[in-house]
Amino acid sequence: MTHRLVLGLLLPGLLILSLPGCSSSGPEKQQPGEAAAEGESKAAEGAKESTSGSAPAAEEVLLEPFDAPPLAELDEKAEWVDQPVVDAVERLQKLLAEQQPLATVDEALALKNDSDEANAKILSALGRLPEDDSQVDWGASITRHILADVKTTNPIMVSSVQDFDLAGLTSLELFAFDWNLEFFANQDSVVSWQSSKDHLMDKVVLRDDLVWSDGRPLTAHDVVFSFQTIMNPKVPIPAVRSGTDELKWVEAYDDRTLVFFHKQALATNVGNMLFPIIPKHIYENTLAADPTLAESPEHVKYENEPVTSGPYKIVKRVRGQEIVLERRENHDLHEGKQVRQKPYIEQIRFRINADSNVSLLALKSGEIDELLLTPEQWMTQTGDDEFYSRNTKARGIEWTTFQFNWNLQTPFFSDIRVRKAMSYAFNHDEMLSKLCYGLYVPSNGVFHPAAWMAPKKPLPYYKQDLNKAEELLDEAGWIDHDGDGIRDQEIGGRSVPFEFNIVCTSVQLRVDICSLLKENLDQIGVICNVHPMEFTVMQEKILKHDYQAAFGGWGSGADPGTLDNIWKTGEPRNFGGYSNPEVDRLFDEGKKEFDRQKRAEIYAKIDELIYADQPYTWLYCQSSFYGFNKELRGYKFCPRGPYHYSPGFMSIWRPMH
Amino acid sequence: MLSYLIRRVLIGCLTLLLITFIVYGLIRSMPGSPLTVQMAEMDPSRKIRPEDYARMQKSFGLDKPWWQAYGVWLGNVARLDFGRSFLQKQPVAKVIGERIGPTLLLSLTSLLLAYLLSIPMGLYATVRNGHHDERFLSTALYMLYSFPTFVTALLLQMLLAVKLELLPLFDMHSQGYEQMSSWEQAWDLFKHALMPVACYTYGSLAYESRFIRANMQEVMKQDYIRTARAKGVGPLAVIFHHAFRNTLIPFVTLIGLTLPTLLSGSVIIEQIFTWPGLGRLFFESISARDYPTIMGLTLVFSVMTLLGTLVADILYAVVDPRISYS
Repeated sequence: MTHRLVLGLLLPGLLILSLPGCSSSGPEKQQPGEAAAEGESKAAEGAKESTSGSAPAAEEVLLEPFDAPPLAELDEKAEWVDQPVVDAVERLQKLLAEQQPLATVDEALALKNDSDEANAKILSALGRLPEDDSQVDWGASITRHILADVKTTNPIMVSSVQDFDLAGLTSLELFAFDWNLEFFANQDSVVSWQSSKDHLMDKVVLRDDLVWSDGRPLTAHDVVFSFQTIMNPKVPIPAVRSGTDELKWVEAYDDRTLVFFHKQALATNVGNMLFPIIPKHIYENTLAADPTLAESPEHVKYENEPVTSGPYKIVKRVRGQEIVLERRENHDLHEGKQVRQKPYIEQIRFRINADSNVSLLALKSGEIDELLLTPEQWMTQTGDDEFYSRNTKARGIEWTTFQFNWNLQTPFFSDIRVRKAMSYAFNHDEMLSKLCYGLYVPSNGVFHPAAWMAPKKPLPYYKQDLNKAEELLDEAGWIDHDGDGIRDQEIGGRSVPFEFNIVCTSVQLRVDICSLLKENLDQIGVICNVHPMEFTVMQEKILKHDYQAAFGGWGSGADPGTLDNIWKTGEPRNFGGYSNPEVDRLFDEGKKEFDRQKRAEIYAKIDELIYADQPYTWLYCQSSFYGFNKELRGYKFCPRGPYHYSPGFMSIWRPMH
Repeated sequence: MLSYLIRRVLIGCLTLLLITFIVYGLIRSMPGSPLTVQMAEMDPSRKIRPEDYARMQKSFGLDKPWWQAYGVWLGNVARLDFGRSFLQKQPVAKVIGERIGPTLLLSLTSLLLAYLLSIPMGLYATVRNGHHDERFLSTALYMLYSFPTFVTALLLQMLLAVKLELLPLFDMHSQGYEQMSSWEQAWDLFKHALMPVACYTYGSLAYESRFIRANMQEVMKQDYIRTARAKGVGPLAVIFHHAFRNTLIPFVTLIGLTLPTLLSGSVIIEQIFTWPGLGRLFFESISARDYPTIMGLTLVFSVMTLLGTLVADILYAVVDPRISYS
């Protein structure tokens, strides 16, 4: 009896659910090109359009149409100023030529990197470029390590760090920046770059020997098509739209001549022109059918075997395991002649492994050739002979700072005296010497003390001074009124104890640092609860401003102007609610100032103002630690690490035996 | 028997519905969403426009309340469309399908190996109960049991892969696998699977052999064993023919309950050996809030669990003639 009842209920239920109309508005139903169940999905599309009525009356427009004036007219009025067109590797070669190596290669290879001096010698000797082509092993291959698989190989859909790493090798760049974060046009792709006198236009003439990996020529029309696609509201661009959306228009006047039109005359305009390029001849036909660029069978095919514009093409991809790149012949050879520098490395293998212990074993056994090391690994696991039998290691400063973020919208941290008290209460020395193994530099503000825009007179570093901290808290009205050992204050008619939560991710170092803060604050009558949590959960809380204090960090963009979305009033990454109208004004000014010297002064002033307000308690600037196989040469560190600038990875080579 | 099966299948379907409904509600209620994850990965110096945010929300299905989105998912599943992974941008069926083979390779092998080893060990322990060699064996097995798998994995790697260079460090295939002959491929796979399978297997040896021993001791006390001995039946026949078969009922339960673990994989082992298995996939999907993949995997695991209990129940009827289903 029971089973008949169940049958009677279930079967019709399943039947109803399998009707197309039921799931027509689901998020998956966006690919009319899907082969399976195509008839049904087409019906679903039809049902969607008629029943849901979700199509907006006015389509969203990201790019205002613009009638570009003819080139002759521009040439007449612009008063073009020449800008640098540089070969990054050549520029590095020039820099190295001016420097004497501090040691020979053999000496450096015999050293153990246990001091600043040793580090400098290793970088100096092993960072040299080849003196002539015969020294280079042109058939070399290198195995690199990445923590996770890339999300996409399409350069305009990049979002994660791994995506950017891959795109840097497979995608052509018109512009780039060097180790001093100075922008230039890439000589590999550009003949000339000029800016108009009023800074509102940039004219670029491309080389005529640019070729996609499938043999088709790369022209200015590809650049314009890429720009249009990035600015197409139907295409779900995760990251590269910001910056690009500050361009007014990009026009191709012929196969080689491009003019970028800017909305305003800002010093940060160059950064907006760094958007990646995709092949027009491939995507112009397939974009309309599948604007997500990821779902139709053609797009999936190109996701696995993309047509690339950069020096490398993808020859093999096993998801979750590895990605293999090979040097493209038609990148540096054109009609039989060598027209640009051949990349030193023939084959690059990215091996994916999320476990840091296993990755270190892989480096030691020679299965991978380079690895980002954790501080513990640098200190304790890479000092023995076994490590040095195959590898060496090097480190460089990074402009990545870590800090306690105070939420200024809580009753605790809205008072500047309380924030200063926190900075005085924390035992910075213990953190730096014990928890960070003495490896990190203390941070005293928004910019790294060695950065070009940091104040010339370094801002004073906070040191622990519990008496000062207590004075400030007393001044701010946080006094232990009820004698329970915890400071309190009357707010809104109630006695509120000074007890707050600090959130951090489950990285041991961060938990330890927050615990140190807790210990320090215990001594002055403030209770701090440490809440380590999963990264995504913490992100969510921070984005919703649902936190009192957090442990956070910021990497460095290429231009300090981009920091405005952390510090200006109401900006999306100003999580703590900091607001200083003078800082807002200075950021706007900094963007419009073109003289680097003057800009440095503006940003230094910003740093001083923010420092005085202590919306963060700055902790340390992290360094990059890398292990390299002894056979690698040519690596160089910059404030963004050894790879995220030009030439970056392209300066690495293997000597011929 | 047939009506019993049909009843079980239908109840299983209802259970599946309930499980998937609750799991979907739970994962949607988790703090953080695929949108949070995506925004976290973006360059901190880049802004998000509110229109882009709304568009991204819609693409993840976050614009609907969770029970409605569940209905959508269920409708798709009824038409065998398991959705598309947010993380990998490939159909969920493909993502899971690719990983089932490698997961089964490790788990089936280690399951068989574990039983092959623990049955003789359990029987041996029964026979030699109280003697020194049995005590030594039990202690050794317990020590193995207590050793955490990730420590063993790393030690094995350090010894066998780095120091002695006998086995590959990680991955499932060597470079150039596609060009190898069938024999070479089998050998390559064997070398790669050896360490992961070892790590999977050793922990369960102590448990299972102990389990068999405990059951055997129960049975050995029975009168019919004494009768068999009194009749002059040889010791081996007593153990295998009379005693062991009667311990099969709890044993079958164990097998039935182990079936779901065949596909659940092990996050730690798969991460260490970069083995493309379902355990790592599950873990990564949860961290990334990849709802379609999580639901696909939940479906797979639930089906396996329900199947496992059904298989166990049917095997009872096979193993014990006293049991029959109507």
